Amino acid sequence: MVAIVPEQPFTVANIPLSSWSFAIRVWLAMILALFVSFWLQLEAPASAAVTVGILAEPTRGQALDKAGFRLFGTIVGVTASIAITGLFSQARDLILAAFAVWIGICVFVANLLDGYRAYAAVLSGYTVAIIATQQIDTPQHVFESGMARGAAIAVGILSMAVVNTLMYTPDRHPRLMMQLAAFRRRVREYASAAFLGEPGNSTTFLTLLREIVALRPEIASMTLESSSGSVRSVAARSAAVGLVAELQAARILNSGPLDVDDMARDQARAAPERADDAGLPAQRLPELVAGQKRVRDVETEVSAWAARELLRRDDEVRQDLLALRSARWPLRAWRAPLYRSYRTAAGNGVRAALWLAIASIFYVWAGWPAASVSLSFVALITGLGATLPSPRGFTAITLIGTPIAAVLTGILEFIILNGADAFPVLAIAMAPFTVGAAVLMKSQNLLWSSLGRVNLLFIPILLAPSNPQTYNPQTFLFTSLFLVAAASLLLAAQTLIPPVSDDERRMRLLAEARSELQEPAHLNGESPEEATFQDASRIGQFLAAGGAQDSRALAEMLSCFDQSVMLRLCVAKLMPLTDGPLAPLADEARAAIVKRDTPSLRTIAHRLREMVPQKDSIEADAAACLVLTSKILDQCSGVNFSQEAT
Amino acid sequence: MAHTFAELVVGGVLFAPFVTYLVAALVLIVVLRPLLHVVGFAKMFSHASVAELSLYVTILSLLVLLF
Repeated sequence: MVAIVPEQPFTVANIPLSSWSFAIRVWLAMILALFVSFWLQLEAPASAAVTVGILAEPTRGQALDKAGFRLFGTIVGVTASIAITGLFSQARDLILAAFAVWIGICVFVANLLDGYRAYAAVLSGYTVAIIATQQIDTPQHVFESGMARGAAIAVGILSMAVVNTLMYTPDRHPRLMMQLAAFRRRVREYASAAFLGEPGNSTTFLTLLREIVALRPEIASMTLESSSGSVRSVAARSAAVGLVAELQAARILNSGPLDVDDMARDQARAAPERADDAGLPAQRLPELVAGQKRVRDVETEVSAWAARELLRRDDEVRQDLLALRSARWPLRAWRAPLYRSYRTAAGNGVRAALWLAIASIFYVWAGWPAASVSLSFVALITGLGATLPSPRGFTAITLIGTPIAAVLTGILEFIILNGADAFPVLAIAMAPFTVGAAVLMKSQNLLWSSLGRVNLLFIPILLAPSNPQTYNPQTFLFTSLFLVAAASLLLAAQTLIPPVSDDERRMRLLAEARSELQEPAHLNGESPEEATFQDASRIGQFLAAGGAQDSRALAEMLSCFDQSVMLRLCVAKLMPLTDGPLAPLADEARAAIVKRDTPSLRTIAHRLREMVPQKDSIEADAAACLVLTSKILDQCSGVNFSQEAT
Repeated sequence: MAHTFAELVVGGVLFAPFVTYLVAALVLIVVLRPLLHVVGFAKMFSHASVAELSLYVTILSLLVLLF
């Protein structure tokens, strides 16, 4: 027996070396960005430093991807600022109303996207706050302010890119390859439980499903990593979509009783066990298929079909992983569509607009001299929170993090620097604060990591490095107070009008899954695998909204998932029969699917088998699929009845 | 004879000619990417990212020199 001990990462002061190198990279990039901005005499050098803080991502591809979206979001935001200022100039209330609506639209769009796309959407929202709202009294400066911000962001992006490249920032694809291979192994272990006659464990299924779906944004960010990045990204996406399909095939095997006789079962069990790490060789497939000769009744035939389907999926995933490893195009490129809940997104958008409106009313009423700065902080926190599962939680963390950031910046500005005007002094003085915040950001603990991010972001904002540095305690005090006031006000607004709750989100997702199931099964130009991935991403969102605790809703969600996947698979399996002599039977089957008429489905399957007795034909596959669909539909309606009865 | 650089004017704002070269070099790199993948550029170097940055700098310098 060989004991495998996981490799321990090298640590310094109990912190992994990778975290230290990440933190030092962030500090170097921030200093480089500030140096270049001072040298070019840019108007907003602090924006360049903040850009580096925002682009602090562990891998090069992720940083570049986020950089691209940051630039794009800024361009959209500056355009919107000019449009809003042009449309409502000299009308403060109208500008504020238009601004609240724009933030609402941006949050709505962000809720329909994921990863850095969502970030770009909210960035276009709060860029308007930073540019148009801060220049509300001097609209003629909006364009110049936008240009200054754009230039500073470009410098920040370039600094980060150069530092990341020269410091050998790790690429994402080697780790992603390992993760995908590990998922494949875990899916096969899950499937082998069925062959061993153990009951299926839906917790394992859900964990795997959630983890695979969560890789989606990271796969997209591999594109910019190298010249082979886009090909690798396509291969990884196809592998992820294939893994979800394989997992679903394993679930089908796990869900039903398998009465494959001993010989066939042994062969099926042996196939995954004997397969070496490179995968299941195609020659082994006939062994399993040969085992089917012993199967007699319909149940066994269906089980054998499900096992065959699993092996086919496994082979597809293996090929995709090989394509990923050798950076070549996969056999077929699948998209990985994301499930979009428009109603939840609209709910969040409307709430974000209302929070902004409440804050604006408060600031207008308070009549503070620099309220526009505080309002732009409200927009910033609203925007950044909208891309996270709990916007109110983020506001609360910001409220805790901003006083800490203010104290740290105060120490940096008035105790350590205290009037210094040499750039090397600034660079050295900023090191402990930037490195400390970046190390904290890499922590496994969510609270520490969020506090680290908040500090990395707000320390350059509060310090506002400029050339020459003003060292004005009054400005510092006001900015700090406005930042804390913005977080408090937003938290108050979010308490008054709470964000869409997890319960509500779960109920909406479930209702949407249910209503989608009522519609006739059709494929909108996408393959069944892509549609399955989209459904899986809905389950991922459901679980993110605390779905694991709501066992009844979860059971119904899974039942909807099983049914829709099988119905789509059936429609796809019937497609090749539409042009042949079995077209009338295929039409009948489709009509039975629409009516959810399970006895008819079984009869049609029986007729299909009688007409085409070969076991490994398309018709036999379609027949097995129809029987399995009828079984799952019956099972699910049984669940519904029992739930209604209780 | 001294090399003259064309100004880039967007909406009345003057941009440094260097910005034009930066963007043009970036566009060229993006266009070249599929070709680089076909010739296996990433596999030729131990640190492909540094090689790609060097390629970018080379293209940028050539653009400044030639145009």
